[in-house]
Amino acid sequence: MPAINPVASYIDVQSGRISGEIFHSREIYELELERVFARSWVFIAHETMLPKPGSFMQNYVGEDPILVVRQPDGSIRAFLNQCQHRGMRLCRADLGEAKNFMCSFHGWNYNLAGKLINVPHGDATFAPEDLADVKLREMRVTNYKGFIFGNWDETAPSFEEYMGDFAWYFDCFIDRYPGGMEVVGTHKWVLPCNWKFNVEQPTSDAYHAETSHMSAFDVMLPRNPDGTLQDWAAKQVEILGDVKGGQFSSPFGHGAGWFDDGIPVLTRSIFDWKVRTDGDVAERLGPNRVNPFAHANLFPNFMMLGNYTFRVTHPRGPNEMEIWSWSMAPVAAPPEVKEAIRVDLLRSFSGAGMLEQDDAVNWEEEQSVLRGFMARKERLNYRQFRNQARYDRNCYPGKTVPHVYSEQAARDMYQHYTELMSGLPWPELVKIKAERVVQERRACENTAADGVKA
Amino acid sequence: MKTDSHFFSKYRRPQSSLASAADSYAVTQFLFAEADLLDSWRFADWLTLLSPDVRYWSPARENRLMKDLEKEISPPGTSAHFDEDFDMLRQRVARIDTNKAWAESPPSRSRHLISNVRVFNHSGERPDVYEADCCFHVYRSSGERSQDSVFGRRIDLLQRDSSEYGFKILERTVVFDMATILVKNLSLIY
Repeated sequence: MPAINPVASYIDVQSGRISGEIFHSREIYELELERVFARSWVFIAHETMLPKPGSFMQNYVGEDPILVVRQPDGSIRAFLNQCQHRGMRLCRADLGEAKNFMCSFHGWNYNLAGKLINVPHGDATFAPEDLADVKLREMRVTNYKGFIFGNWDETAPSFEEYMGDFAWYFDCFIDRYPGGMEVVGTHKWVLPCNWKFNVEQPTSDAYHAETSHMSAFDVMLPRNPDGTLQDWAAKQVEILGDVKGGQFSSPFGHGAGWFDDGIPVLTRSIFDWKVRTDGDVAERLGPNRVNPFAHANLFPNFMMLGNYTFRVTHPRGPNEMEIWSWSMAPVAAPPEVKEAIRVDLLRSFSGAGMLEQDDAVNWEEEQSVLRGFMARKERLNYRQFRNQARYDRNCYPGKTVPHVYSEQAARDMYQHYTELMSGLPWPELVKIKAERVVQERRACENTAADGVKA
Repeated sequence: MKTDSHFFSKYRRPQSSLASAADSYAVTQFLFAEADLLDSWRFADWLTLLSPDVRYWSPARENRLMKDLEKEISPPGTSAHFDEDFDMLRQRVARIDTNKAWAESPPSRSRHLISNVRVFNHSGERPDVYEADCCFHVYRSSGERSQDSVFGRRIDLLQRDSSEYGFKILERTVVFDMATILVKNLSLIY
């Protein structure tokens, strides 16, 4: 067991205090690559990104480049995108189709299954045993309703166990309609800040929206000639103003939040289609998931919003993140709604998006302040809605708080993060989590339900 | 190389279709004046340069194998940084005017450098319409220490009119020279 947990002294989940050192330290960052990214289930592809045998795409798990490949039998496998000879990046295109992958350094050639099939001058210059069994390093993969996740750690829990109650929330984003999801737009950009900012926020922070994004809500919703908001648009503002809702958090670091009345929609045709199909969604998911949830994050770095934004946030050193964002539409949506989703999201949540830009500046400044010694010593306040979480409240599975603005999911995310950063092996972590959930559930039962702030 | 299938090949114009020196001069001065409006934060004035039917589009790009070169730039209806009509651009300007658009409040300092300008007569033989092809470098400094640059190519369809600036922008295609956008946001007008 590792002697030192490098983040424990900076994170106090019970009191809701965190020091910014965890966003700044190079030592912590290097350990995150090992203890968080190399042991977690990370989104690496959606099956529609790999339409046929030989389709490939690149992605990353932490800083490690991943090559995801559709196999001749239709299955999807994922490899470290690194030639076994000199460690060269094997595939250098973002996506495409291939019969095999030849390294551009010495010409070593691998088939779609990652097996070395040709080495120039191999017969004359290598003994057969020195090339035997050479193949690309392969990771565990799982396919959940078309979303492909990979994990390097053979001892990590199954994806289903890792998701736990989060699956119920995840489905509200990806399984509202039969037929699954498809990609209608892709955006990639970098931000000068720590990757955890874009984990914390989709996990736990609907609170920032009305301040950070007030300018976008001011101008993007259509108005009548007299300057008042159109009726349907006024409803979107009401959603944002009425903070009834809740927040879910998971022992494995996932989080989700919702407004009871749904997520504010900026484009009328998307809203109208949603209203038109409410009955179908109710039948499919039940009455409590008719309205899309606002935000969620599947730990470590797979973010989603109820407006069909999905993204991974790749770490790029302690002071930089790289966002890969996909706009996805339900396959079942009519073409004009898919087009509306594409345009809505590039105008709101891409690098040029009118909501996204403002997050960028806030995070950049947050990061730059942490250059300061005193700034990193501050015990920042993550205390919103403490000690109000309950299990299986109303219809909501798992641990929730009954308010859309809460930092409970952030605290639980950092709890999980701290546990991972301890370096304890997965089987021990799973045991610790199970025991904690039992204790928390018991504590909840001992608290009178009417003591809960509703 | 399948360079003929690349996105830019459809914008290749014969030298014989270059506009006259006088027309080229007028269009070039229009582009410089526009850059000055943008860098002087006169966005409401900038809106007057746009046709009510303007289309402002900036496709995304990907790293593609040479055999897939024609897919390197995303086609219309797919990944884009901007895909705007007049009303959408008006919203972007109105957002800055709220003083609560934190990406540009406090405002950044920008400089639009416009170069390699080539002005062609319209391929559809509309005598009052020109195709202006240029390269740009947009430098931005914001806050105390943040600075970045984006480069790219811009292809405009411009119509002569009687307004102060002499032209209206009918179409603008902005192609950034980046696949992954290596700046924190695209909060300016390009």
